[in-house]
Amino acid sequence: MAREFQRGHKARISDLTAGTDLYVGVQITGPGLSFDISCFGLDADERLSDDRYFVFFNQPKTPEESIQLLGAQAGDTESFRVTLDRIPSQIQKLSFTATIDGAGQMSQVAPGYLRIVAGGEEVARYSFNGSEFSTERAVMLGDFYLKDVWRFAAVGQGFDGGLDALLKNFGGEALEEETPAPPQQPQSGAAPGFAPPAQAAAPPAFAAPSAPVPPPAPAPQQPQPAPQGFVPPPTPAPPAPAPAPSVHAAPTIIAPLTTPPGGAVPPPGPAPYAQPPGQPGPPPGYGGQPSAPLPPGYGQQAPSAPPGYGQQPPYGQVPAQHPGAPATPSAYGVPQQAPQVPQAAGVAGALQAFKETPTGQRWTQQNKKLVRVDLGIGGQPVLARQGSMVLYQGKVDFGYKGAGFAGRIVGNATGQEMQLMRCTGHGQVFLAENATHLHPIELQGDAICVSAENVLAFDESLQYEVRRIEGHGIPGGALFTMQFQGTGTIVVKTHGAPVVLPVTPTTFADCNAVVAWSAAAQVVVSSQVRMRRNAYPGDTGESVNLQFRAAPGSFVVVQPYEV
Amino acid sequence: MNQPLAGFAPAPVGARMENHGSHMLKVAMQTGNDLLARVGSMIAYEGFIQYEPNPPAVRQIARDWITGEGAPLMKCSGDGLLYLADYGANVVVINLAGEAISVNATNLLAFDANLQWGVERVKGLAKFAGQGLWNTKISGQGWVALTSRGEPIVVDCGGGEDETYVDPDALVAWSPNLKVKGKRSFKAQSLIGRGSGEAYQMAFSGQGIVVVQPSEDSTDRLRFRG
Repeated sequence: MAREFQRGHKARISDLTAGTDLYVGVQITGPGLSFDISCFGLDADERLSDDRYFVFFNQPKTPEESIQLLGAQAGDTESFRVTLDRIPSQIQKLSFTATIDGAGQMSQVAPGYLRIVAGGEEVARYSFNGSEFSTERAVMLGDFYLKDVWRFAAVGQGFDGGLDALLKNFGGEALEEETPAPPQQPQSGAAPGFAPPAQAAAPPAFAAPSAPVPPPAPAPQQPQPAPQGFVPPPTPAPPAPAPAPSVHAAPTIIAPLTTPPGGAVPPPGPAPYAQPPGQPGPPPGYGGQPSAPLPPGYGQQAPSAPPGYGQQPPYGQVPAQHPGAPATPSAYGVPQQAPQVPQAAGVAGALQAFKETPTGQRWTQQNKKLVRVDLGIGGQPVLARQGSMVLYQGKVDFGYKGAGFAGRIVGNATGQEMQLMRCTGHGQVFLAENATHLHPIELQGDAICVSAENVLAFDESLQYEVRRIEGHGIPGGALFTMQFQGTGTIVVKTHGAPVVLPVTPTTFADCNAVVAWSAAAQVVVSSQVRMRRNAYPGDTGESVNLQFRAAPGSFVVVQPYEV
Repeated sequence: MNQPLAGFAPAPVGARMENHGSHMLKVAMQTGNDLLARVGSMIAYEGFIQYEPNPPAVRQIARDWITGEGAPLMKCSGDGLLYLADYGANVVVINLAGEAISVNATNLLAFDANLQWGVERVKGLAKFAGQGLWNTKISGQGWVALTSRGEPIVVDCGGGEDETYVDPDALVAWSPNLKVKGKRSFKAQSLIGRGSGEAYQMAFSGQGIVVVQPSEDSTDRLRFRG
């Protein structure tokens, strides 16, 4: 359901997703090429007025962590986490760029893309390939920019110089290289310098975890002196001019934070507990952790702390530059920062993270487990599972929706019965049930099969009918499902985050865990029959499976929960 | 062996109450700054912390019994780090700065002992004969932690005359200065098994917020007893 962007296309982010916590992934590869992918936070004049908003492998996050570099993962060469509502107001534009590291030109790049993922779903993708470029050595792939609201533009503009030319273009001083670099090295080693996950893995100390680490990054470190001819090997990486200015800027923040000077030896600290795959680098602060829990006075400090506690050295909290501690939880999907950051005192401050998201769409996903429907838009009623309303504003009427006489009979016979209510009127209705995950699926003339108990709500314009799954050997005789068709949105609920599988010739799903599949897929029941299973105790419990056959493009949704 | 678990180590203490993940509460305890927590919510602690059941005054007992809003609380005191959770529910930490908040007792996890709290009757709610709706109101200067089944949502009531209707089963907390009314969307139809499943709502109006969870607990939210 990702929206495809072409070069020059623009869109409001709010039209793509209701969320503001975005994942931006860039895939760019080329035979024999390695790339530096970075994000420039620019001010209203499109200048890089603050070096701390140049996010790249050497400075993996901005001070307030609104932009974080996450490293290679999920098929992306490089990825960022961007939290739009935490970006300070002076930053008006984020420019995502890729620079060839070493020799090469942009015409050699293989087909790649820049994509935006929100709430686990890809919402936008801008694809490009080498034929759009010629001898450029850098490319500005896409921009987030603030014009009333945050917008996204697919730029795809080549740039002749390398990273340093790009930096100059944005007004960052491409610094005079090596003089400052060596002395800073130890310090930056503690915090930002070796921060990127790739490099962290490079030191031999962590042999084990280095496996999952993206290859491109360690590579540049060694070849760097050769191609570019930079004199001092200690400079962190090939685009030496670039990193340095930020390293300049960075220590001024970090210096007080990296209280333990011992942190200057990065490898030993993290070694004992190596990183989970793909995790950002070692948090040296973690080593100091044992002492952290009970500093004599931390209790008193707490009440006054909230506004700025993140910056306080005594806690060693180091949010700004520490790749490890703060970033790790977020990589696990535990939004630890979320509640912490907006901890302005007071009810409003504490609850800021849970505010209603405003958008002008009919169906809006509020968070993973809540969906909002605006009955005023579109004007048609919504059918929802009985009792699923948690809150509404405006004048909304809830009425009983009968299935009709025939419907009752069919429903009873097949088990595909829905207890529905009709919501009519004007206003916003929030729907949720038992904290299950909700997934609004927009149908545009196509069809989807959903098991009746996984339907939360849908537009009344959709037609639905009970469909039978062919098969033999099923105890009950046959399996049934609900097929929805037409134009409109259906909200499917799953217990836990589901997996969406593309249908291949060998796609099977447990009939108790499968939630939905695109109606184009043909479903066959495959039951494993073995003499032994029937003859002895010790049933595997996996007797009836559904096999899917379909043209590419079809999908199956399976939940981690067997009904 | 424990590499994949390293990411779950506690973050350094930054405030009196913090989330560890979204389902766990971490409290930095200190002598003289006691904490009242739901009985049985402690899952781990570090340091020297003592727990005692909060012996409510006789009046309080009577009141609990009458209102059904008596959240069994324990008093935690000492020095150290205390971890609390409630059956995997999301935890929301609020730092009250002299404000007040109304909470369903079932959604209360912990709060500073120096806060004022008490069971109150919700004003304005239509009463059935001799019965009323009760809830817990907390105010003052300090920290409160609420639980919510699933990530909650905060809705601003807008301040106008417009009313926001909430399913009482999903209600977590609200600003006490909101006007509350009961609303019945109950029709004669419902008597013959044709109800919409939404029989009774609470209507909020005024300046303030309502916190709602994406789940409809089967536990009693509205305690009617008489």
